[in-house]
Amino acid sequence: MQNSIKLLNKYISVNLRSQLQYRLTFVFEVFGTILLTLTEFAALALVLLKFENIGGWTVGEVAFLYGTINASFGIMDMFFSGFDPRNFGRHVRMGTFDQLLLRPINITLQVLGLEFQFRRIGRIMIGVGILIYSVQTTSILWTGEKAIVLFFAIIGQIAYFGGLFIFGATITFWTIESIEVVNILTYGGSDLIAYPMNIYPELLRKFFTFILPAIFLNYYPALFILGRPDPFNFPPYAHWLSPFAGMLILFFSLRFWRFGITKYQSTGT
Amino acid sequence: MASIIAVKKLDKHFKVRKFHRGRFSGFQNFFTREHHLVRAVDGVNFEIQSGELIGYLGPNGAGKSTTLKMLTGLLVPTGGEINVDGFVPSKQRKEYVSRIGAVFGQRSTLWWDLPVFESFELLRHIYKIPEKLFKKNLDEFRELLELDTFINTPVRSLSLGQRMRADICAALLHDPKILFLDEPTIGLDVVAKERIRQFIQHINQDRGTTVILTTHDLSDVEKLCNRILIIDEGKLLYDGQLEQLRQKFGGKRQLVVDFFENYPEATIEGAEIVEINGARITFEFERDSIAASDLIGRLSSKYRIRDLEVKEPEIEETIRRIYEQQLLK
Repeated sequence: MQNSIKLLNKYISVNLRSQLQYRLTFVFEVFGTILLTLTEFAALALVLLKFENIGGWTVGEVAFLYGTINASFGIMDMFFSGFDPRNFGRHVRMGTFDQLLLRPINITLQVLGLEFQFRRIGRIMIGVGILIYSVQTTSILWTGEKAIVLFFAIIGQIAYFGGLFIFGATITFWTIESIEVVNILTYGGSDLIAYPMNIYPELLRKFFTFILPAIFLNYYPALFILGRPDPFNFPPYAHWLSPFAGMLILFFSLRFWRFGITKYQSTGT
Repeated sequence: MASIIAVKKLDKHFKVRKFHRGRFSGFQNFFTREHHLVRAVDGVNFEIQSGELIGYLGPNGAGKSTTLKMLTGLLVPTGGEINVDGFVPSKQRKEYVSRIGAVFGQRSTLWWDLPVFESFELLRHIYKIPEKLFKKNLDEFRELLELDTFINTPVRSLSLGQRMRADICAALLHDPKILFLDEPTIGLDVVAKERIRQFIQHINQDRGTTVILTTHDLSDVEKLCNRILIIDEGKLLYDGQLEQLRQKFGGKRQLVVDFFENYPEATIEGAEIVEINGARITFEFERDSIAASDLIGRLSSKYRIRDLEVKEPEIEETIRRIYEQQLLK
């Protein structure tokens, strides 16, 4: 375990140094993501300001959802980009994944170490910025408990979407084409929970409650922190469930991942 | 002496999807999933003693790489047994791979954007190589492989030959007992090939590392290997010394003679003329039917000879004949 952490640190510093070798590219990419996330939010804010609210939520309140998920998705994307199906599929196809199997350390650790996308710092910064804007416009009454709920929400979101990345990476052992389906769940899913869940049709909401429990990641923590009533009458501890939902997805994805590796070793590619 | 690698009745079968061709094939391919079985490795047996240097040969798609992937634990066999140094390669992966080194020709194990030396440093942590051993090995390999001119260069800027040298060094830093090399000289120029061959020989002789290499380049095999295995269509066709193979299937030997004067009619019993070039005549004769010394005796009694040379058939030629005419089946 101690050795793993040491190695992970090594991998992180290797990646950082590699990416800083292309300094201009790095700067452009950070600015690119900042600009992109900002424009997206600006477009949303313009529409919201016209209608004043969305599903009963003000611009500042939606900004809370929007900022939180963007910050945590950015953190996830930075640390789990080795598993990003688009990158990982390439390693499987080119046979570089074999190189990892030839090294005497944990495979999951090595795939994590393949890539850390530091340029995601742009998205994280904007996410935090939007969150701060939300906190200022909604005048939330902060308590210690609310701070912990927010922290747990972020942990859960990172685990959930990291898990989906691992799930998608595993799929590429079989097929490259089907990863678009997983992309809908990751990128689509993170867009989906940037808005209040009560605006969606019941079927979609139920899917993201009982099949993929994304409703607990962002919506319930936000309801609690913003002091809004729960329209769906969930148990009063629902805002604590984000880390459990995240860990659940991560756990099953890791199981599937182990299975995928065994499968890969018996079929080759 | 106990063998370090024992392979018994090794099979690897792949299910390959059948694709229909022709009209409506798109529909058929979409709605049906027929498979046919490819026996990439089919009942292969061999044993390798510690310290041997083995050449593993075969045409493209013969099953060389599949065998190597099973020996390194990347693939799980469909049937049969592999035992390498007391391990079943596909099990206990971490313990096993720390005892072997492997270089798969066209894929680098090094970090693309890092200077070569830093890749080595990372491997030191990954393999938990003691500092002293790491330094000793690296110093030795740096000199033998002449790594110093590019050891601080990022891997992406290396030439193919440099990258291969760096990769071979990387595979040996942790003192593996067995080294697997898949096409180590592919795409390299003559000088680079020679350097790598010498290094492989050194590792084998000096350190006693068991080496198994697959190659297309038979001069690799001629210079390095005392024993070869030939595989084709998944079956092991030959296991033995190169020299014996040559003797058995070598075909015709040639005798090139420079005469003092032109003899357009210089026929001789037991050999036939294949080429006349002024005073130089090339004869061909069967190994089994006449000894070279007899032939030379007969020639010199009739004609005045200035110089001569007996040529063995090229090993490439021999192996090609074996593949094409399926002599070993």
